[in-house]
Amino acid sequence: MIKLFRRHIAVPSGTSRWADANASMPTAPTRRTVIAALPAALLAGCSNRRDPRALSVWAMSYEGDYSPLLMPAFTRATGIPVEVQTLPWTAAHEKLLTAFSGDSLPDVLMLPNGWVGEFAMIGAIAPLADPALVDDVFPSVRAAMRYGAHDYGVPWSVAPQMQYYRADLLAREGFGAVSLDWASWRRMGLALKRRRPDDYVVLSYLNWPDTLFTFAGQAGAPLLRDRDTRGDFAGPAFTEALRFYKSLFDDGLAPRALSTELQDPIAAFARGYFAIYPGGPTLLLDLRRRAAEIPPDRWAVTRMPGPRGPGAVDGISACLAVARSSPRPTEAWALVRHMTSARSELQFQAMIGNLPARRSAWSSPQLATPRLAAFAAQMRQPASQPAIVEMERIRAEVQLIAERVVRDQLTVEEGTLLMNRRVDALLAKRRALVEAGRIA
Amino acid sequence: MTRQSRTAWLFTVPVLAIILLVFVVPTALALGLSVTDYSIYALADPANLHFVGLGNFADLFATPLFWRAMANTGLCALLGVPMAIGTSLAVALLLHDRTVRWKPLWRVLLFAPYVTSVVATSVVWRFVLNTQFGLLNYALRAIGAPGVDWLGDPRASIPAILLFVTWKVFGYNMIVFTAALAAVPVDLMEAARLDGAGRWMRFRHVTLPAIGPTLLLAAVMSVAGFLQIFAEPYVMTLGGPSQSTTTVLYFMFDEGFKWWNLGQASAVAFILFVLILLLTMIQTRIGRRYEWL
Repeated sequence: MIKLFRRHIAVPSGTSRWADANASMPTAPTRRTVIAALPAALLAGCSNRRDPRALSVWAMSYEGDYSPLLMPAFTRATGIPVEVQTLPWTAAHEKLLTAFSGDSLPDVLMLPNGWVGEFAMIGAIAPLADPALVDDVFPSVRAAMRYGAHDYGVPWSVAPQMQYYRADLLAREGFGAVSLDWASWRRMGLALKRRRPDDYVVLSYLNWPDTLFTFAGQAGAPLLRDRDTRGDFAGPAFTEALRFYKSLFDDGLAPRALSTELQDPIAAFARGYFAIYPGGPTLLLDLRRRAAEIPPDRWAVTRMPGPRGPGAVDGISACLAVARSSPRPTEAWALVRHMTSARSELQFQAMIGNLPARRSAWSSPQLATPRLAAFAAQMRQPASQPAIVEMERIRAEVQLIAERVVRDQLTVEEGTLLMNRRVDALLAKRRALVEAGRIA
Repeated sequence: MTRQSRTAWLFTVPVLAIILLVFVVPTALALGLSVTDYSIYALADPANLHFVGLGNFADLFATPLFWRAMANTGLCALLGVPMAIGTSLAVALLLHDRTVRWKPLWRVLLFAPYVTSVVATSVVWRFVLNTQFGLLNYALRAIGAPGVDWLGDPRASIPAILLFVTWKVFGYNMIVFTAALAAVPVDLMEAARLDGAGRWMRFRHVTLPAIGPTLLLAAVMSVAGFLQIFAEPYVMTLGGPSQSTTTVLYFMFDEGFKWWNLGQASAVAFILFVLILLLTMIQTRIGRRYEWL
C-alpha cells in the first residue's frame, strides 16, 4: 500500500524528509515527540528506496547476478536506469506466482522456456509488442514462446545439458574421450569404479529431474498422451530410461545424494569424487572461477550419452518477458530488445557461459572454440516437452517416484504405473477443462 | 456503561480488533477457500473457480503423500517434544545447582541458538551432519562407530533434523524452567531432605509438582511448535530424501505456494488447525486433572 501511495503522489524520499524536519525542530526532542516520531520512522523504513524512474528486472541465478553488467549501455542510450534482482532457482516459481497475485511483478522477468505457457495463461506476461523480436532466433527455441496465437517471450539464452568430464581421470584408465552411447558409457563407468571404488563416476542429484528427463527424451519417451491430459510413463521407452537411470545408482556409479548434501560440487569434481558432471553452460563460469583448483586441461565437455549415441536433450533455456502489469511496456520492451540483442547475448556468453539464442550471434568467432562446438551441435537438437501448465510439477513428482525406485522402495514397473496414476491425478483439472473445450 | 468499563473496552478493543483481523478473518477465509478448487486455473480466470464441498478433504485423504507427511510430523512431535523438553529441563536443573559458577554466562551461551537465524544455523548444521567431512561422523568414527548418512538416509533424516531443532529451541524453555525452579520453596526442599528423601524422590515429589504448570505450558507450546516444523526441512533437506522429512506444513507450502493449489493447501491448514486445537484441549484436560491450571 505504501508503495502505491508513494508511486502516485511522489512523496520525497522518507529519510531525507525526516532529517530535514529534525534539523528545523527548535527544541530538544521530548519523550512525546520521540514517541510520535516512532511510527513515522517505521513508515519511512517500509517505503522502498527504489529509483522511481528505474525499470525493474528479475532474473534467476547467474543471469540475475551478471545482468547489471549489461545495463550501463542501455542506460547510456535511453537514460533509463535499471534495477536487477536475483532470484534463486529453488524459490523462483513460487516467488513469481506470489508476485503476480500480489500485483508486484517487475517490468521485465526471466522465465525458463517451460514456464512461458503457464505465465501466459494466468495473464502475468504480455504478448510480444513486435514480432520481429523473435525473427532471428532458432526455430526450435521460438516454438516454446508460443501460447495460443501469440509469442510471449524473447529467447535469451540456450542451455542444453551436457556432460563435463575429468579427461585426466579417464585417460588414466585408457579412455581418450567419454563414451556417447549408454552401453559403452556404462562399461567405461564400471571400469572407473573398479579402479576408484570409494569415488563415483557421475553426479546426478536424486531430487533434480534433469538427468532422468534427458535420458527419457533421448530414449524417445512421449511422457504424456491424450492431448497431454494423461501420463504415459509405463511405455517401453521411459521404462528403458528409468532402468538405465536406476542402474547408475545400483552399480555405485552415482552417489545416492540430494542437492542439499553436497555443499561444494565443484570442489568434489576437482577432487575426483566423481568424474562426470552433467550440467549446463553456466558450469563453464564455475570452472573458470575455480581454475586454481581444477585447471582447464583436466576437464572436457561433450554431449550427454544416449541409448544409441547422442540425441535430443532438454535444458534450462531462458527467455525474457514483460509483465502485463508493467506501467511502461514500451520502455520494458526496449530493455528486452537490448538484453536479447546479439551483442548482449555474446557479452553474456563470455561472462556466464549461456549460449546465444539468436542465429546471427553464432557467426561470431567468439563461439568458434572447440569447447563450444559440442554445445553448438547439441543446440541444433533440442528436446521439446509438453508445453502445459502442470509440466514443472509433473517433472518434480515423477522424480520423487524415481527416487523411491532408486532407493528400492518400489520396482521399476510399480514406479512407472505410480507415475501414471499420480500424473493422471495432477492433470484431472486440465482434463476437465480440455473436455469442456475451455482450453486447447 | 460505567466509566470503568468504558476504559476497559478502550484498552481491549485494539487488541480484539487485531485478533479479529489477523486471526479470525484469515481462519474463516482459509476455511472458505478449502471448500473451493482454487488452483492456478482460477488465478487465470475466476470462472474456473468452483465450490467442491468436502472434495479437497476427500482428495487429501486419498493422497499417500499427505499421510506420509502426517506420519513424519507425528514422528517429529513424538520424538521431538520429549527431546526438547527433556534437554531444557535437564540443563535448567544443572544450571540451578548451587555449585555451578558463572550462571549468567552459561544462560546466555545456551540461549544463543534460540535467537540465531534458522537459515544460517541450518547451513552450519548441514556441514556438521555431512557424511564425508561432518564433525558428527568424525566423532562417531573416532569412537569406532560407523558413520551415518544423516541427511541422505530416509531413516536417519528425521532424527538428524530433530537434533538440530532440539539444539535450536531448548534454550527458550530452559529459561522458563530456570524461572520456575527459582520458585520451588526452599523450606519444602529442606524438609524433604531432612526426612531422608533422595535426589530422585525430591525431584519427583517436590520439584515436579512445583513446576507442573510451567511444564504444561512448555508441552503445549512444544507440541504446537513441532507439529508446525517447516523451516528446518525446507533449508536442510528440501523435504527429502524420499520425502522422509516432508512435514504437513511443508506439504501445505508446496501445494499452496509452489503449485498454487490454494484450495487443497487451505484444507491441509484447516486439518492442522483442528489437530493442534484437539491436542491442546487434551493437554489442558490433563493439566486440570493434576490441578496445574
